[in-house]
Amino acid sequence: MRNKGVIALCLLLAVLSGCDRQDSFPNRPILLICPWSPGGGTDSISRHIAFLLEQDLGVPVNVVNATGGSGVTGHTRGATARPDGYTMTMVTVELSMLHWRSLTNISYKDFKPVIMLNQDAAALFVRTDSQWTSLGELQEAIRQNPGKLKASGTAFGAIWHVALAGWLTNVGLNPSDTIWIPMGGSKPSLVELLAGGVDMVCCSLPEARVLLADKVRCLGVMAEERVPAFSDVPTFKELGVDWQVLGYRGLALPLGVPQDRYEILAAAARRAVTSDAYLEFVANMGADAAAMPSEEFRRFLAKADETFGQIMASEVFSGVTRKYGAMFFPKLLLGLLALCFLGCLGIDRFRVSEDAQTITASGMLDLAIAVGCIVLYLVLAEFVGFIVTAAVLLFLLFWRLRVRWIVALPVSLALVPLLYQIFAVGLRVPLPRGWLSW
Amino acid sequence: MEQVLEAFELVFANPMVWVAVFLSATFGVFIGSIPGLTATMAVALLVPITYWLEPEVALAAIVTMVACAIFAGDIPTTLLRIPGTPASAAYADDAKALTNLGKSDTALGVALVCSVAGGLFGALVLMGLGHQLAKIATLFSAVEYFWLYLLGLSSAVVVSSGPKLRALLSLTIGLLLSTVGLSAVHSQARFTFGQPELFDGIGFIPAMIGLFGVSEVLKNLIDLQQDHTDSTEDRVGGENQNSLDVGRMQRFVYQPIKSVLGSGSELLLTRKWHALRSGGIGVLIGMLPGAGADIAAWVSLAVSKRFSNKPEAYGKGSIEGIADATTANSAALAGAWIPALVFGIPGDSVTAIVIGVLLMKNITPGPEIFEKQAPLVYSIYLIFILANLVLIPIGFLAIKAGGFIVRIPRRVLLPIILLFCVLGSYALNSSYFDIGTMLVMGLLGFVLERRKIPLAPVVLGLILGPPLEERFIQTITGSDGSLAGFLDPQRPLALGLAAVFALVWVSAIVMGIRQKKSNPE
Repeated sequence: MRNKGVIALCLLLAVLSGCDRQDSFPNRPILLICPWSPGGGTDSISRHIAFLLEQDLGVPVNVVNATGGSGVTGHTRGATARPDGYTMTMVTVELSMLHWRSLTNISYKDFKPVIMLNQDAAALFVRTDSQWTSLGELQEAIRQNPGKLKASGTAFGAIWHVALAGWLTNVGLNPSDTIWIPMGGSKPSLVELLAGGVDMVCCSLPEARVLLADKVRCLGVMAEERVPAFSDVPTFKELGVDWQVLGYRGLALPLGVPQDRYEILAAAARRAVTSDAYLEFVANMGADAAAMPSEEFRRFLAKADETFGQIMASEVFSGVTRKYGAMFFPKLLLGLLALCFLGCLGIDRFRVSEDAQTITASGMLDLAIAVGCIVLYLVLAEFVGFIVTAAVLLFLLFWRLRVRWIVALPVSLALVPLLYQIFAVGLRVPLPRGWLSW
Repeated sequence: MEQVLEAFELVFANPMVWVAVFLSATFGVFIGSIPGLTATMAVALLVPITYWLEPEVALAAIVTMVACAIFAGDIPTTLLRIPGTPASAAYADDAKALTNLGKSDTALGVALVCSVAGGLFGALVLMGLGHQLAKIATLFSAVEYFWLYLLGLSSAVVVSSGPKLRALLSLTIGLLLSTVGLSAVHSQARFTFGQPELFDGIGFIPAMIGLFGVSEVLKNLIDLQQDHTDSTEDRVGGENQNSLDVGRMQRFVYQPIKSVLGSGSELLLTRKWHALRSGGIGVLIGMLPGAGADIAAWVSLAVSKRFSNKPEAYGKGSIEGIADATTANSAALAGAWIPALVFGIPGDSVTAIVIGVLLMKNITPGPEIFEKQAPLVYSIYLIFILANLVLIPIGFLAIKAGGFIVRIPRRVLLPIILLFCVLGSYALNSSYFDIGTMLVMGLLGFVLERRKIPLAPVVLGLILGPPLEERFIQTITGSDGSLAGFLDPQRPLALGLAAVFALVWVSAIVMGIRQKKSNPE
């Protein structure tokens, strides 16, 4: 009887897999990796571009937030993805910085740039009720009280910290004349600024836009020219400080994507960033729309990489020291853990709970099979695909738990494709496609 | 007044708003009840669609979806002990204990009624006191957050049943696990062994699914071994005691409504002040940009236990605990809108996306919105009330649909839950590594639970560990290495929070000693 079931399963799967177009590109969903979390500027740009590309290419474009590690996670995943044109990455300025801080080996050389979307210049903010109304006054205050004023904007050594340190060096101050409080991003830094925890924040203008109305004052922007959406903010250059720092965002593919696919994607991206919908969106956001075609973007990346390399190697950063290292907090916790552990050991030696059943040999086997199924899924899913792997594993577990096959078979066969439709089609979760390429 | 009327017209006269509310309520319940799919993810999926919608329609969709998702998170929590959203993790053991007694309808009914009450309370506070409260939100700097997080962590120890030392051990395990990955403040890799995937650390969603879901499956596998009966009659929950000899109308309409909503409203009416307190805690914590619905639920549960007549029931199926925690986590949602509307600072990740949507529509949140776009602000208030009212019928249907799960034989259900655990942990970041995390945490949870170590504190440690360390390092960097920075006399709010923290621990220790004296085992 079970053989019949297996044959029926194979037949059904074969029929379902028949409806696929192999010849045209793209014919299945494209993944757009965003290295930052939902709600931020990069995420909202990613989702807009994805939406526009989707309409242009006629296949779903799904945004995945591969966050964490100051951008390491997302960029690494994008660079090492299968180069079939179905995975794109929203690269950000961290691509030019992370490898100089030896946090990753990934650099711009691991990507094939498609298009640059925009650039955001660093700007300097203070509270509206603070005593500094101009850049010069703040500079003078730092000079008078070295090591007293606190600044923030992002993590230690990340883009806005580089911007601030460069400005201080440029005007003959030491970067450690201000205390850099490392923060998770521009939003918490601005909150901290309002709460009086820091005295100045360095971040981009669009990030602080909603607060500019009456809570914070912008002392200047570190760009060549004034930013159109904020035309009343002077540039540092106008104020006599020749220092520019720009963050960028752009689309890139992993190396090795076939040229014809690359061209299809690049053309679609070009159409997207010149569409009225996109231009209106970036204008509302306060970002600029300086899209840059791929060859120019490539040269830009090479130059940015060199510039950041120089900054990160220069005395700007060697002059900045930190007291509480990364292992301070874990060590504290380890001590606490040891105390609790010894305490519990002393009280009752971690006695097994009264209502827990004893584990028999066959129970152990059950556990091993359940764990093994998940491991098997991890190993097989990417090649075999979600549908086949999940159906087989479900059936296997049913069999082990002695569920009658008349229940097990229909449940496995109906549930798994249903889940695929809900998750992969409805909720845009890129489940592995594998052999069937459903 | 004219503007209020205009808002009424914007919301109630527009059929699109009604369509959006009902569709997103259904979608929200669905998302919330699947562990691994978060409200934030659902809102992010909605963003491209909002481009085509009018602002009030887009806001109606988002507000309704989030309110429904946070309630729906209680459904898998109660029925399967897998928190649908992190905001339900605090009372997972209580809710599952009630299901095992066959009282899943009561537990979910209370959760529904209290979620609605919390949501409505939050909306009223947002309307009446938004401007005044928003000022408090801007008083919180790094050091205030540090004490608040410590208070939040302490609540996990306070609410735990059984020996406090085990809860503390569990909490420390969670905190220690949270230090894996690239430290946000140092930009330095820790315990990553050169694996790029580990740079992101241990995600608390896959960890939560593993700790609660996988470990529950493993435990049930062992339990199944013990009864060798081949019957498929064996269910997850006990039988509901519905008598069958009544009329059809009675049985299918009146009784279910009574059994689900009746007990909830009764409880709510007898505990008005508790509900107000929980709602207040929810709004206050929810409006802080660095804390959200999850911490609100924990703190509210701890306060509830501290002032309860029967604190021993907490963790073993306390219906009062569930009521207070669900009130707080729903009230927190409206709280998050306070700083978002008044200053343009998002109170949580959902309002961060909302601000993006508003900016896209050329509406700038912040002080000006109340002058220039007053009707829109009033319509947001109305939408909040509408969303919570719509939650009543939709949530009721969801509870009834969920009740179907408890009737599936355990042998069939366990493999399906395992598949959902895999899917749920993969869904958030589409990463195989997260599935591995879930598996390892599942085994850890299984071992810990057998040794009577509670699991919920591990989750809280994972959630609060990174921000706690961040605030610690920030404060100590700001005070140039001196511990005096934590008790800065110029920051009275920080001093107050520190005093509350000290009080909580002193009273916990004193009570522990007194208990030991009164019954030396």
